[in-house]
Amino acid sequence: MSSFLSKLYPSLTLSLLWISPVLAQDRTLSGKVTATDGSLLPGVNVVVKGFVSGGVSDANGSYSIRVPASAPTLVFSFIGYLTQEVNIPPSSDLLNATLVEDVQNLEEVIVTGLATSIKRSNAANAVTRLSADELVGATRPATLDAAMSGKLIGANIQQNNGAPGGGVSIKLRGISSINGTSEPLYVIDGVFANNAQFANGAGAGPFTGAGAGQDQAPNRISDLNPADVESIDVLKGPSAAAIYGTRANAGVVIITTKRGKAGKTRVSFGQDVGFASAIRLQGSSNWSLDPVGPEGQNKFDYVFGNGQPGSGNPAEVALWQEASSEGKIYDYEKIIYGHVGVISNTRLSVSGGNEKTRFYLAAGRNDETGIQQKTGFQRNSIRVNIDHQLAKWIDVSVGSNYLRTGAQRSFSGNDNRGVSIGYSLAYTPNYAQLFPVNGVYPNSRYTGDNPLAIADRTINDEQTNRFVQSFSSNIYFLQQPNRTLKLALAGGVDYLNTEGEVYFPEDLQSQRQRATPGASRFSKSRSANTNLQAFLIYNWKIGGKVDLTSQAGTVRLVTDNDLSYIQGEGLLPGQKNPNNAGVRTASETFQSWQDVGLVAQQEANFEDKIIGTLGIRFDKSSLNGNHQQWYPFPRASLAVNVANFGFWSFAPVNQLKLRGAYGQTGGVPVFGNTFTPLVTTLIDGRLLGTQAPATVGNPNIEPETAQEVELGVDVGLWRNKVTLEATIYDKTVFNLLNPYTLSSGSGVTQYNAYPVGDLQNRGVELGIGFTPVERTRFAWTAQVQYWANRSKITRLEIPNTVVGPGFAWARNQLRLGESPNRWYGTPNVPDADGIVQATGYETSQPRYQISFSNQFRFFKNFEFSFLLHTSQGNFNGNVTTRHKDTGGTSVDWSSVENLWETVGVPNGMARRASNPNVTTRMYIQDASYVRLRETALYYTVPAAFLSSLFGKVVSSVRIGASAVNLLTFTDYQGYDPEVSNFGNQSVGSNVDNAVFPNSKRIFFHLAVDF
Amino acid sequence: MKRSVKNTVLLLALTFGNGGCSFFNVDDTVDPNSPAVESVLTNASRAQLNQLGIGVQSATRNGLSNYYLVSGSIGREVYNLASTELTWTTELLGSMSGGLSPTTLFNGHYADFSQTRRRAEIFLRSAEQSNATAPDALTEAQKQGIRGFSNTVKAFVMLNTLNMQYQNGIRLTFSDLATPGDLLKPGPFGTYEASLAAIKGLLDEGAAQLSTAGDDFAFPVSVGYAGFNKPATYRKFNRAVAARVAMYQQDWVGMLSVLDESFLDRNGPLTTGPVYTFSTTAGDLVNPLFQALNTTNSPVVAQNAFVSDAEPGDTRVARKVTRRTTPRTFNGLNGVYDASLYATNTDPVSILRNEELILMYAEAKIQTGQLAEAVTVLNRVRTSAGLQPLAIAKPAVIGNKDALIDELLNQRRYSLWYEGHRWFDVRRYNRLDQLPNDAPNQRVYDQLIRPFAEVQWDAKNPQ
Repeated sequence: MSSFLSKLYPSLTLSLLWISPVLAQDRTLSGKVTATDGSLLPGVNVVVKGFVSGGVSDANGSYSIRVPASAPTLVFSFIGYLTQEVNIPPSSDLLNATLVEDVQNLEEVIVTGLATSIKRSNAANAVTRLSADELVGATRPATLDAAMSGKLIGANIQQNNGAPGGGVSIKLRGISSINGTSEPLYVIDGVFANNAQFANGAGAGPFTGAGAGQDQAPNRISDLNPADVESIDVLKGPSAAAIYGTRANAGVVIITTKRGKAGKTRVSFGQDVGFASAIRLQGSSNWSLDPVGPEGQNKFDYVFGNGQPGSGNPAEVALWQEASSEGKIYDYEKIIYGHVGVISNTRLSVSGGNEKTRFYLAAGRNDETGIQQKTGFQRNSIRVNIDHQLAKWIDVSVGSNYLRTGAQRSFSGNDNRGVSIGYSLAYTPNYAQLFPVNGVYPNSRYTGDNPLAIADRTINDEQTNRFVQSFSSNIYFLQQPNRTLKLALAGGVDYLNTEGEVYFPEDLQSQRQRATPGASRFSKSRSANTNLQAFLIYNWKIGGKVDLTSQAGTVRLVTDNDLSYIQGEGLLPGQKNPNNAGVRTASETFQSWQDVGLVAQQEANFEDKIIGTLGIRFDKSSLNGNHQQWYPFPRASLAVNVANFGFWSFAPVNQLKLRGAYGQTGGVPVFGNTFTPLVTTLIDGRLLGTQAPATVGNPNIEPETAQEVELGVDVGLWRNKVTLEATIYDKTVFNLLNPYTLSSGSGVTQYNAYPVGDLQNRGVELGIGFTPVERTRFAWTAQVQYWANRSKITRLEIPNTVVGPGFAWARNQLRLGESPNRWYGTPNVPDADGIVQATGYETSQPRYQISFSNQFRFFKNFEFSFLLHTSQGNFNGNVTTRHKDTGGTSVDWSSVENLWETVGVPNGMARRASNPNVTTRMYIQDASYVRLRETALYYTVPAAFLSSLFGKVVSSVRIGASAVNLLTFTDYQGYDPEVSNFGNQSVGSNVDNAVFPNSKRIFFHLAVDF
Repeated sequence: MKRSVKNTVLLLALTFGNGGCSFFNVDDTVDPNSPAVESVLTNASRAQLNQLGIGVQSATRNGLSNYYLVSGSIGREVYNLASTELTWTTELLGSMSGGLSPTTLFNGHYADFSQTRRRAEIFLRSAEQSNATAPDALTEAQKQGIRGFSNTVKAFVMLNTLNMQYQNGIRLTFSDLATPGDLLKPGPFGTYEASLAAIKGLLDEGAAQLSTAGDDFAFPVSVGYAGFNKPATYRKFNRAVAARVAMYQQDWVGMLSVLDESFLDRNGPLTTGPVYTFSTTAGDLVNPLFQALNTTNSPVVAQNAFVSDAEPGDTRVARKVTRRTTPRTFNGLNGVYDASLYATNTDPVSILRNEELILMYAEAKIQTGQLAEAVTVLNRVRTSAGLQPLAIAKPAVIGNKDALIDELLNQRRYSLWYEGHRWFDVRRYNRLDQLPNDAPNQRVYDQLIRPFAEVQWDAKNPQ
């Protein structure tokens, strides 16, 4: 495989434009490269077979290359097309080539290391690549991570709630860590990217009081502009990601942005207009004095009485009667969440360049309003990518991206002060009168605050300024036909500052009930990631048959965070500045850490038949107990392309690859895990004291490590009209870091991090791609993917421990032999040793997921696609119903269905916790779904028609319509089966508690190329 | 090619150059945000010891609201009508199937009190291990003061913990609280009786230490202890706590004897006693029991019988509850009166006051058959609350021991309402079945369950 070195970086593919001076007695070949539909292909890589460098086709698809007189074959390769080998005619210097589109992406180059890559047909891992087209080609999910949903085999992707601005959790091949988020590492053009959720204090005492870590902030990947992304490679487990060492336990998502291509300068403009609306609203229910209970009780007797006939609060009955007679019955849920959000995405890019310099300039603006008024999300992005060939032996690439994003998310989800809108709705009867009177919102009798006032008058705003700068350079020491030696340098900076503003005016009902009414918090979270890597890569051949790539290098990653806020309580009327507050609180937190890695890797390729890799990485980190300790992370992989051997004669099977890979990765402790700080306290308003903390650090902490074995087989049939990719894996995380719950009577509740045991994830991934029809007027390609994962604690050194946030009646526990995603709750029964234990229920992890993706092209100019996605056997802990039943607002409250072994009792009472037959069973609900995740129809205006209108100015116009989450089929009774009240938790996710409803989105698109 | 090599070397030099070796170095991180605990465990300076002492006093306020609210709810003094946390009106009142959940919220005070116990122990040990030299060195008397103070604090929070755990008992020993590794080795749970005995022992030890602790404590004492801020006066508080222990032990003679050494003043103000102080200064705590009137989110309301059972004219009712403008009906409970013991969020909270000492004295007198003396002091409490003396109001009870016990418990109910007594009082007299249940399926627990972490710990680490 001679061309793969030149694909080290797809961006550099086109830049290796010299011919080695060794080729002395050469001749020059030239010709045109076209696609099957006759269009000219610029940028195609052309090399002499067996050589590593060559040329590329220009804007008109023409190429010219000097070749040795004896050279027998030219190899044409281009991203998205099958590589074509063409014999050089002895008598002619003209050689044209036609490339066939690579529908199933066998030729695409996927990443195998920090500085090397491999084409898919030779890969030993099932690395998933998503192209720009697959990600956002059809429609426009809100964020880049949401755009992967249903497309990424082996991943469990979930929208945590529907508030604008993101909040998506991705778990690759099950959970990989308990201590934190278990989210993959994101790398953008070589820059280690920040995907933190920064606290803004929305869950702090003066606001919702939900508690620390419950601010429901967006995760920072939502900053990235999906329109700039060329492709995403996902290394799902340690066997593929070992080269990323201690940062890769949860997998790695490698994002490559678009870059310029040599040729005519291309100007692209795109505009989407979209609309968002709630997927489902839960509705409210009516009130009446009709008897619904066995003793003639009416609804008021139950909800506003003690359940005895006639005990209903007469004041409530009077309010209801008054509202009914005046026709003032309202669906408050619809009033708050029933709005249609408007989405506008605008993007403009200019790209082009020549053989030495290529550029990509892009600007984008996304602006959306949510289904709740005054919520929204904005993103402004400017990107400049430049590639330059300084000399034959050195090239440089830089990418600069400035982003400014904003999100207004209001208050939903868990809450302890009765202000969260979801909570308030559950307790607000439809006869409540909450609309402002003379501009003043009346108090709510039912909850801590009037939900309309919360929606209208509070602020939960976040603005992020982010700068991502990438840099890479290749420096060649040796460029010979049979060997090259280069130094690959890369690095970058991801600098961001998120400014949060949370504000409750002093005259809100919930604030007037406080001693110091009015609260605001202004937070600033500044984070800087810097990473730098240098690799020496030697590419050589043995006997003309074995390609060898040796690399050795080093990596350094530095993170420096400064998180601060000032909070004011007791504000002057209309005044937001905490400076003027009666009680001011300031906080400042510093965090910094450094990782260093040393990497060596050897790849060998025997004629694309047998491809093997051996590698090892050593890492140390300031986050470990011993900062000088190096931890090794080895890897090995082997792929055998059986069909490439001479003996293979079964023509229908054009590819048969057996592959296996092994690797180890690590997970570093969280910053602060090693410390046991004295905390300061005050008494009498002036005496400063110190206290030992309730939790202790572990100064000897080591990274958790994961190892994975992955085995698979890839089959291509009938020239890849049908492809099959099957993978099984066994991933075990050793020495899982988790808080170690101690005897609380000792006065210490836990070790903050402790190697508590091992966790095993086993799973299967099956992908089938096929092209049932491929005609000029009609083509249909389709992919079916199936994946399933099972998690199990295989070793547990600590007692059964409650993990993750959650509610007493639906929590996760660490137990030997069980999945950490399993739900536990009542009834509590003594086990064999007489110890009372909670009963186990299903898990939040799906039993399996299937996606079915289809693309149709018809009448040449129309494209239609849809993506069906199902997740089966995933259970949510739904406690929203509990609140609605208590508040009398569940839609079926008054129905009598004899639930939970009751007779004649209305559902809203039968489901109450006071029914002795009600257990946690009620709250653990099947959240399986089938969803039409994406669907799109596009029309490309014929080129002839365009040129008749605009001459040569407009080269392409495309219009279309699309939708995200248009249809959902589920028995789940919450807003949406995708939900996680506590955000990106590895465990403790899938809690449904008064969340912001998820929305579906419909778009109209226009794209014009000049 | 040569040129490229040269340039590359230059580039490399730039990359790894100035900080050449620092590229491969990572920090030996020191916590940039807080001092480490280790800095005070040995060789603590005088300033550090002072701060630890203040820290212990501050910590005694932790767990207070959970303790009062949970015991007050089970004792049917108050209800927390929280729409955001339904377990206050279901699980805690016994109406949830299966009773208390193993991971119940209502053991929140347990960890807080245990932390205070540990912090007092750390203060004591840091003082023992302090090598501060003159003039900062602690005198033996000052060390005795710290020992006496720490032991009293430990005993106080252990007693509160035991009140909630009752027959579950509490852990009496830890192999070594000061050494991190040994935190993992708690001792077994003592029985209720053994736990009470251990607490008594700790209090007696503390009292003896305070007797030889000189004139002043070596560390600053909160203004909340005004009048009790010297070893001799703090010892009176120690003896008052010992009286509580004797009361639970039903050691009426011993109770009278320790009351004698406490700050009991049969004719003095009922309010005399140390208090927890609060302030709105950042870093300090505000009174967690304060609530604005008529709140709708999670109002703490009186169980209605507190008002309807009261003798007419009892000023304690008006002082402790306020009628809501709109009753709060929630989850089968009807809240008509807000708890309003504290007017602002910086009002102090009484730790133990003369009023309780007088009532304890009365109880001991009844139990030892000195009924006339008991009536005298009960009248003191009654008249202070605007009620007629027993001779006028309830002449029948005079001379009747059982009726006087009823009267005593009633006075305790009104004098110490929502201050962590009622539930334990009715339990002491086996009258839990007399507490009201306001909604079907409710029942009154006799104790909380042992915290999940403790149960699981012992399951994994058998003693």
